[in-house]
Amino acid sequence: MTRDPAPGDGAVLSPSAAHLRQELPADTDVLVLGGGLAGSAVAYYLAREGVDVVLVEREELNRQASGTNAGSFHFQIALHQLTAWGTDNVRDRLLAEVRLHAQAARMWTELEQELDAPMGVHTTGGLMVAETDAELRLLVDKNRIEAEAGLETQVLLAGELRAFAPYLADDLTGASYCATEGHANPLVSAPLFALRAQQAGAEIRTHARVREVVARTPAGTGFTVRTDAGTIRARRVVNAAGAWAGEVARLSGLTLPLRAEGLHVNVTEPREHVLDPLVQHIGRRLSLKQSGNGTFIIGGGWPSAPAPHPSRHTTRWDSAAGNMGVAVRVMPGLADVRVVRMWTGVMAFTDDLSPIVGESGAVPGYFTCIATTGFTLSPLMARLLAEHMARPSSRPLPPEYSPDRNPAGRPAA
Amino acid sequence: MDGATGRYDLLVVGGGPAGMAAATTARELGLHVALVDERPSLGGQIYKQPGEGFVVRDHAALGRDHVAGRVLIDATQRSGAHVLLRTSVLTLRDGDVVLHTEGEPVRTVRAGRVLLAPGAHDRPVVFPGWDLPGVLTAGGAQTLVKTQRVAPGERVLFAGSGPLALAFPAQLHGYGVNVVAALEAGPPPAPRDALRLLGAARGNRQLLLDGLRYRAALLRGRVPLRYRRIVVRAEGGDRLAAVVHAAVDSGWRVLPGTEERIEVDTLCLGYGFFPSVELMRVAGCALRYDEDLGGPVVELDEWMRTSVPGVLAAGDGTGVAGALVAVDEGRLAAIGAALDLGRLPLPAARERARPLRARLDRKRVFREALGRLYRVGPGVYDLATADTVVCRCEEVTCAAVDRAAETTADVNVVKGYTRAGMGLCQGRSCQRQVAARVARRHGLRLAEVPTGTPRSPVRPVPASAVADEQLQDGGFFTRDA
Ligand SMILES: Cc1cc2nc3c(=O)[nH]c(=O)nc-3n(C[C@H](O)[C@H](O)[C@H](O)COP(=O)(O)OP(=O)(O)OC[C@H]3O[C@@H](n4cnc5c(N)ncnc54)[C@H](O)[C@@H]3O)c2cc1C
Ligand SMILES: Cc1cc2nc3c(=O)[nH]c(=O)nc-3n(C[C@H](O)[C@H](O)[C@H](O)COP(=O)(O)OP(=O)(O)OC[C@H]3O[C@@H](n4cnc5c(N)ncnc54)[C@H](O)[C@@H]3O)c2cc1C
Repeated sequence: MTRDPAPGDGAVLSPSAAHLRQELPADTDVLVLGGGLAGSAVAYYLAREGVDVVLVEREELNRQASGTNAGSFHFQIALHQLTAWGTDNVRDRLLAEVRLHAQAARMWTELEQELDAPMGVHTTGGLMVAETDAELRLLVDKNRIEAEAGLETQVLLAGELRAFAPYLADDLTGASYCATEGHANPLVSAPLFALRAQQAGAEIRTHARVREVVARTPAGTGFTVRTDAGTIRARRVVNAAGAWAGEVARLSGLTLPLRAEGLHVNVTEPREHVLDPLVQHIGRRLSLKQSGNGTFIIGGGWPSAPAPHPSRHTTRWDSAAGNMGVAVRVMPGLADVRVVRMWTGVMAFTDDLSPIVGESGAVPGYFTCIATTGFTLSPLMARLLAEHMARPSSRPLPPEYSPDRNPAGRPAA
Repeated sequence: MDGATGRYDLLVVGGGPAGMAAATTARELGLHVALVDERPSLGGQIYKQPGEGFVVRDHAALGRDHVAGRVLIDATQRSGAHVLLRTSVLTLRDGDVVLHTEGEPVRTVRAGRVLLAPGAHDRPVVFPGWDLPGVLTAGGAQTLVKTQRVAPGERVLFAGSGPLALAFPAQLHGYGVNVVAALEAGPPPAPRDALRLLGAARGNRQLLLDGLRYRAALLRGRVPLRYRRIVVRAEGGDRLAAVVHAAVDSGWRVLPGTEERIEVDTLCLGYGFFPSVELMRVAGCALRYDEDLGGPVVELDEWMRTSVPGVLAAGDGTGVAGALVAVDEGRLAAIGAALDLGRLPLPAARERARPLRARLDRKRVFREALGRLYRVGPGVYDLATADTVVCRCEEVTCAAVDRAAETTADVNVVKGYTRAGMGLCQGRSCQRQVAARVARRHGLRLAEVPTGTPRSPVRPVPASAVADEQLQDGGFFTRDA
């Protein structure tokens, strides 16, 4: 734990360009579509299980959501998981999600050891603040669900919060604290998974955009996949194309219950270290933390201005203004810290907010691996999926994550 | 500003020669104009004005540039353009320009046309020791001398190249600074080149004469002037103590066995300029690559329009060509804006533009000749060694960049692995150097390496100035698809 990659001088832990640009193999057992954290981790866990696997990525590895996100571990229930002003109507889903988060929390504490390299994992604890009494009641509500699901959180009342985090605004009504929250470095995590996958036997290819995914007949006999780097036959495929997973699924006539959304992030100049925990807000869009090098990374779900791939979404000034408004409100000491850069990333939000992990009923052999809180959850979902694909009968997947689940039976967002 | 709609016809970014000329011309054409500059006074780089606390008794004593600058500044101030100083432009999109005036909240203004005239900045050159205190850019030294009247050091070595290279040491010498030698990486002017330049317009001849004048001033001052030599290393403990320089071939590659060492406390570097294209990139303007103009430069049509509707550009920010070109380009852009806004019929616009175009054409010929004469040699990218820091803000070494370049030819990915370009200067100093290393590793030409994704704000800005508490999170529970 807390092994920081030494920026500038550590070795670069990613497959080399010489490997990534080799010829595409003619066939494979599993073809992974997409080289973000989900795809790279699926490739790693499959290769570790001894499965023959190839990963194809449209551009460079880790250039989309997995390389542009804020790197926070979201374990306690957050604003974006709620669908209304309360927890009652979504209690079952929340329970299931928190259980998953608790499992992910344990997994992240072991990942650096598993992959034998620093990923910048820091367990700093996380605060979810409330500004109003209604928000405080929501914290108490969600605390009960978290306790029931096995995630330890504590509600701090105004006075306790002031003593615990004197740098936060002194008129907050309280906060919920989760000691296992923290962050890791998104710039190195997916490439490290990809490198370890390659070392375990996987083939990774970049600049190999998937153009066609044709299920051969009879059903179950595999796929022919045409990419910019050539054509490959695969017995099974895993759609790990993140925000573009819907687009990729349509190539095979499938629809996935998700949509793409672009988000805004700000980073400031470095300052002396004052802020330990990750700070979020239960009623407003905010995630705020101070990184190891002293910069503050501020996001929380403010929108970006769409632009079609390969252009990147542009930033919206009103998002910057609104985001910094909440941030300075919650942590007044940020007022004179200078913002140096803003950027955007595009991610998949599943319609019912639960992960989509499993095999399509309509097209046997077609798997999907998508999680909404995807930096936190992708390594875990990838491992569950890979173990299932290697040993289907002994490792069934939870049916509630099936791509064919009936979202009508579950409250949609 | 048009009170009713709260918008300007033309918003000019940059109060240098190009921006001032554009603002005054646009006012003559009846446009509502705002001119924005982050500096405390008008003038831009060449007409930089003495800072507060200095009373200038005799403008003429400060040189012709200063006088010419005063004339433009006075004209701008009388023009009725709304001049906003200490105000930086952070970003722009669809006619909305986001401004930050020191000490005030950020605000957004709308303009029918936006003219970007942000000038150029010194081209950074990376060699062992370039980050020692005592090593500074010519622009930095010039600012010290011009606005603070402070000598940068006791024993100053100047090293540089390009049409303006000799201006710096001559100016420094003129201000009483002890310049111990001046090194020019390019060749001495040959009579052939001088002949080619004689066909130039009067204004250009002036520039050429200036060059000769600078040279004469250096010779009179017994400042040794040495051609075809480049700095290879700066030495010292916690500050500069000595500089090693060497002879180079026409590609600026160091000739072995020609190294010399000279003890100095200050090294001034003037290896040309990069156009400041950050705002053009953020706005989405199409760029092309021209090494002689400083690398990526914006594409313009005959009215100085960029590829983005409503956005024009002029001056050094569109390719480094000097103040005289900047003035004419600024005027031409103002005419273009008036034409686009329907305030000037096409024949009248053409008529007004004709003398400007004629002068600009002649200047361009001249500029191309100079460009060839003073082209930056590729050897400039070979000076750094493995442990030379390439990104000063994040302390990233060349070795680290090279290791990252083993995995990718994409500078964005290299940036992610190394943090090079993620610091306060936002990559202005290191990104070309990083691109050059990526290019070399992958056998590409520098022009073929795409630059990193452009991002706002182009200047750091306090969080409280950005923050707007009135903006509410838009419907988290009712997100539409
Ligand atoms: C700004 C932002 C902040 C976030 N903050 C957090 C956070 O703090 N904590 C957290 O847990 N989560 C966070 N998230 C969510 C998280 O980043 C994502 O859920 C996660 O990275 C998804 O990983 P992925 O591998 O599924 O998708 P991606 O990383 O987007 O990878 C998908 C890949 O598929 C490739 N692809 C697409 N189409 C094709 C094709 N046709 N052929 C081949 N390849 C293709 C893409 O190029 C891409 O590389 C954030 C997201 C954003 C955008
Ligand atoms: C360091 C240096 C030294 C030079 N010395 C000489 C010399 O001795 N003799 C000579 O003939 N020529 C010299 N030149 C060239 C000459 O200065 C230029 O050709 C001329 O100034 C170009 O005019 P301009 O209006 O295009 O740009 P500039 O004069 O550079 O003006 C641009 C203005 O834009 C402002 N600006 C930029 N970005 C923003 C932003 N985001 N927000 C707000 N304001 C912004 C800057 O503050 C600046 O005032 C020098 C150039 C440089 C860079």
